[in-house]
Amino acid sequence: MKRKSAGVAPGTPTPKKNRTSTRQNGELDNDGAVKSPEVETPSKRRRGEQDLMKELHQAKANGATTGEINGGNTPGTPRSQRKVLFTTPTKPRQEDTPNGTPTIVRNADRSARRKSARRLIERTINGDESDEEALDEEDTLAQEILGGEGEGEGDEEEQDENDSGASPIPETPSKRGRGRPRGRPRKERSPTPPQNLPPHEEFFWQNRPGGTKTSNNTLPSSTLLNHDEYFTTMQSYEDPHGPERDFLLELHSRSFDQWIFELEQGFNICLYGYGSKRLLTDEFAAHLYDYLLARSSDISDTQLPRILVVNGYTSGITIRDIISSLASAIFTSTVKLPTQPGPLLSHVLSCLSSYPPSQPIQILLNSIDSLPLRRGPAVSLLAQLAAHPSIHLLCTADTPNFPLLWDLGQKAQFRFVFHDTTTFAPYDAEIDVVESVNELLGRSGRRVGGRDGVGFVLRSLPENARSLFRILINEQLDLLSADTNDNDNEGLGEQPASVQTPRHKLQLATRKHASESGMGMEYRMLYHKAVGEFVCSNEVGFRTLLKEFHDHQMVESRKDGMGTERLWIPFRREELEGLKEDFEVEGL
Amino acid sequence: MEDKKCYLYAPPRPQPGRAPKRRRLVNTGQPTTWELREHAFHEAWAQQEHQIQGAIDDADRSTLEKIAAFVSGVVPGPRRDRPPIPTGLVITGPSIASHGPFFRRVSDKIIADTKSIFVPLNSAECPNLKTLLKTLIRKATSGLPIDEDDDELPPSGAHKTGSKPLDYDLCLLLDWYSKTPVDKITIAIQDSEGFDDSIIVETIELLSSWSDRLPFVLLFGIATSADRFQDRLTGSAILSLEGEQFVVEQAEESLEKIFRATVEGPHVSLRVGPNLCRLLLDRHSDHSQSTQDFYDSLKYAYLCHFYANPMSVFLNRSLEFDQINHSAFEALRTLPSFRNYVEALLEDGSTDEIHSLLDSDQFLFANIKQHLELGQTALSRLTSAIAVVVILRNAMWKTQQVRYSSLYIRSASGDLYGSPLTRETILMVRKASSDTFSHVLATLASLRHSGLPMDIKEYQQALADLTEHSTTSAPLKSHYDVQSNTLRTTLVAQKVDLSKHKSTLSKQDAAYSDLIGRFHDELEAYLTEALIDPHSLYLSEILLYDLKSPHNEVFAPKPRFAMERALSSPHDYLNCSCCAESKAEGEHQLSASQPPSTILYQLYLESGAMLNVNDLWLAFNAITGGEDNQSEDVTTSLFQRSLAEFKYFGLVKPSRKKVDHVSKMMWKGL
Repeated sequence: MKRKSAGVAPGTPTPKKNRTSTRQNGELDNDGAVKSPEVETPSKRRRGEQDLMKELHQAKANGATTGEINGGNTPGTPRSQRKVLFTTPTKPRQEDTPNGTPTIVRNADRSARRKSARRLIERTINGDESDEEALDEEDTLAQEILGGEGEGEGDEEEQDENDSGASPIPETPSKRGRGRPRGRPRKERSPTPPQNLPPHEEFFWQNRPGGTKTSNNTLPSSTLLNHDEYFTTMQSYEDPHGPERDFLLELHSRSFDQWIFELEQGFNICLYGYGSKRLLTDEFAAHLYDYLLARSSDISDTQLPRILVVNGYTSGITIRDIISSLASAIFTSTVKLPTQPGPLLSHVLSCLSSYPPSQPIQILLNSIDSLPLRRGPAVSLLAQLAAHPSIHLLCTADTPNFPLLWDLGQKAQFRFVFHDTTTFAPYDAEIDVVESVNELLGRSGRRVGGRDGVGFVLRSLPENARSLFRILINEQLDLLSADTNDNDNEGLGEQPASVQTPRHKLQLATRKHASESGMGMEYRMLYHKAVGEFVCSNEVGFRTLLKEFHDHQMVESRKDGMGTERLWIPFRREELEGLKEDFEVEGL
Repeated sequence: MEDKKCYLYAPPRPQPGRAPKRRRLVNTGQPTTWELREHAFHEAWAQQEHQIQGAIDDADRSTLEKIAAFVSGVVPGPRRDRPPIPTGLVITGPSIASHGPFFRRVSDKIIADTKSIFVPLNSAECPNLKTLLKTLIRKATSGLPIDEDDDELPPSGAHKTGSKPLDYDLCLLLDWYSKTPVDKITIAIQDSEGFDDSIIVETIELLSSWSDRLPFVLLFGIATSADRFQDRLTGSAILSLEGEQFVVEQAEESLEKIFRATVEGPHVSLRVGPNLCRLLLDRHSDHSQSTQDFYDSLKYAYLCHFYANPMSVFLNRSLEFDQINHSAFEALRTLPSFRNYVEALLEDGSTDEIHSLLDSDQFLFANIKQHLELGQTALSRLTSAIAVVVILRNAMWKTQQVRYSSLYIRSASGDLYGSPLTRETILMVRKASSDTFSHVLATLASLRHSGLPMDIKEYQQALADLTEHSTTSAPLKSHYDVQSNTLRTTLVAQKVDLSKHKSTLSKQDAAYSDLIGRFHDELEAYLTEALIDPHSLYLSEILLYDLKSPHNEVFAPKPRFAMERALSSPHDYLNCSCCAESKAEGEHQLSASQPPSTILYQLYLESGAMLNVNDLWLAFNAITGGEDNQSEDVTTSLFQRSLAEFKYFGLVKPSRKKVDHVSKMMWKGL
């Protein structure tokens, strides 16, 4: 482009460049050169010199120090200032391409596209841009693309100006501002989200890149109540919907006889719907007991009704607990029984088959879909249990997607009939409210009694364990600060980023992503660190040390998306820093 | 009691305050006729169950017998060489749900018929070879009663060498085998697709190395095909097997048989209506693919009919007039079909009968008894007419087979008579040639409970006479058919051929045409009479059960929808005055009076994929909160409770992307 322009109007731009560059270089020159540019026919040698100088100039202009050029430039050329500040990293190469507006346009387009793609990738990976960024994202992108188009026009304009020789023009014209499409209205952005979307559209709308715009506010820790406060408050609280809930309960309890009939006919019952169904099953147990008692007196049976109530929501429950309590209801305590749940169950079932009880054993299972009963063999054992004709099972399910627990075969074994028993009752027994909210917010550290509690535990542990914990704290803090640094980098703007090639930036983004999504240290890495610092010598020892922390719930572990185990301390940054300080001060 | 894991329920000690309440519940629960209806239910269902069981047994009797014969055909006893293991490849088809019951029947059959024990294994209990062997040994050794002193496993495992074998050592099995009268060990691998390839191969190799001492028989349940199964095995494993293939009847066919068994026959007291039928069959073909599920649904239909319909008491065959009180008759007089019946009587002018029907319970009772019988006969005729149509149709069109169930659905909704399908079928009968006709007659003669008015034997006799006198070996043609035939020949052949053709028609064919014409007329008359609309029957409310409503909810529940509905419009459930207003104002209005979880749910729905808990709390507080400190505590605890509930349901999960954020996991209505 430059050459072309030089061909059309030889010399016009060159002297200016010459001037600026000579001034920068501190060479002796005077204004006379400016005043008689036409006279000088640019020789080949000079042109080469100019090219060199141009490059030099550009290198400086794109460098970190801008003051020199600004200082060198005459006042009243704000454009040059802007140019230097906002120049894009790809520009120099465009300038160097020998001939051509078309190439530049193409390059500009390509770079804009590349940039937009990169941004998209970054954003999808990070997914957590701040509000302003997310809002401005599209506009900036559009501007950049359009800016790229405008660049060509800009060059032509520049050429015109050069021809007229009106003003001193810097050789790298600014892209921003000039390229902005004139007279084109900004796209109207509606502040309210689209209404009445179908559910799947809503899902995509809310999950769109940059769609998550949330504030950075944090919940003050004083807001959440602790156990004591919660229970005192809830004890005095009176639900305004009490009568309606009682009515619902009464409504459901009218079906008790129907349920008994269904159970007698070999079906098992599963109750679902919103609200705790524990009260309902309690009432049903009482009703069933009376019914069975009346019935056994009819057929002069001395056996008292056997109703086994299982609270599936209790945290430590295992399938073994259920089966062994069932076994203890059937056998006398002197009989020796297998210990494993599988054999025990088959033993129980074969006993029930060969000596069927006069009345089937009723099992009322609260929360069949609770976490402990969802895993492993529990489901299939329960299905086997429920399939036996001498067992009647009535269970409740709380989560909305519970039917996914069972495959076709298990479903056939269960022979469930389902009833909607929405009660709106609070899940008082099922959920430990305070604890699960803390867990949800990553504040489960509050459980150990906070910093002091951890300090107390650490003081009672051997030196090695303390060192291990210290390593973990330091690593976690490092990770956290790495995250913030990355965020700061983002915030600093184009300047430092412009030096980096796109790939660098992408790597940065992915690294940041990894540290964030992982949130915590890889088990392997921690182990190697620990070995490196002579905290432990083998993995068994390492596990033993970790177990202590796990027991005190000072460390949590989780498998991430890649299947690697990650460990972290369930504290927030401030608390971690406090802990670190404690370590330093007390020499923990 | 709420935090105990498991406990046996014990009634609380009688307290003066609580006892009466419970008693009230017990007493009010059952209406007076329930015991009679329960009796009727047991009567009706026992009959049905017998039919269904028969159908199921029929369906795979031959396969079971083949398998049993295969197992008993294996020669037991120790051998020098290592013979290949006899293996049955049982192609059970894709419906996993029916595998369990099938293998149970195989087990019963094998244990009853052969001196073998049966060890079923499935993939869930055998994650690796060691556990597989453990399970195998455990199941085998406890499968049959052995000496009482053999209570514990270790003593039996005291090996000759003195060393104690581990519990997955097949030595244990050998020890046990030498003590029992069992002559072979049948191992059934129920879901071969569920096992890892390597486990199956290793098992086969291990078992074959023991096959000189222990006579194993393997049965593999295969859902796909024997070829695919073979592809999964290694060459050496295949070499040590000696396979035979058994194909089990597919769920689709056995369902058809079961279905027929449940509606056909004069003894069926209650039939399932078309809508419910369609629902059940659709669910079977689309989702469950198991006869068990169909059986359950049908049983539930019976349950519902007898439990919820007071009229069903009249289906009790041993019902006496004085067992029911007046109200049952009053209820019956309100039935739409009763009204129609009375109106029809009125048109006939038999007012006396109407008077007695309306006034005298005794008369009505006799009337009902009589008409229930008549209705059942009519329905039974209907079902056998369907069977006739199916036979005719399938005899005429070899390619396009119709299913009994689909015809039943059409006829039960009353649109089979006069439908193109029936008309076409009847017309085709006229054109049938003598061999097709004799085939049709033979099938009709073998039909059970056929209510056919015509004498099939007579037709068969006449046809036999005709064919005997026929000079040519070609089947006789009906002249209805020949006409079109001639038309065709004229187009292709010369005129001479045409006339010749006509001359052969004259004698036997004409006689045959007469015969088949007669048959056709009788058939048409029969179908016209039999293919009624069951809903137009008097007392059809008692004879048919056709309600979709409880079945859908009971067998295909929508728990997620129920929960979303409860949370988004609590008024639907609570029916409270406070929420009614907000309901009236708009679809989803927020108001402070709603239960806290539903308020939070609205906020949850409105937010994006990530939720800032602090902002959520502020919004929640703004809606529900009061001014003073005390109420803020309440608000906070309600907020915490609702949030904890959401976590429990899996609506939210902790997010590590931002501090104090949770991510949204469920979108309403998806």
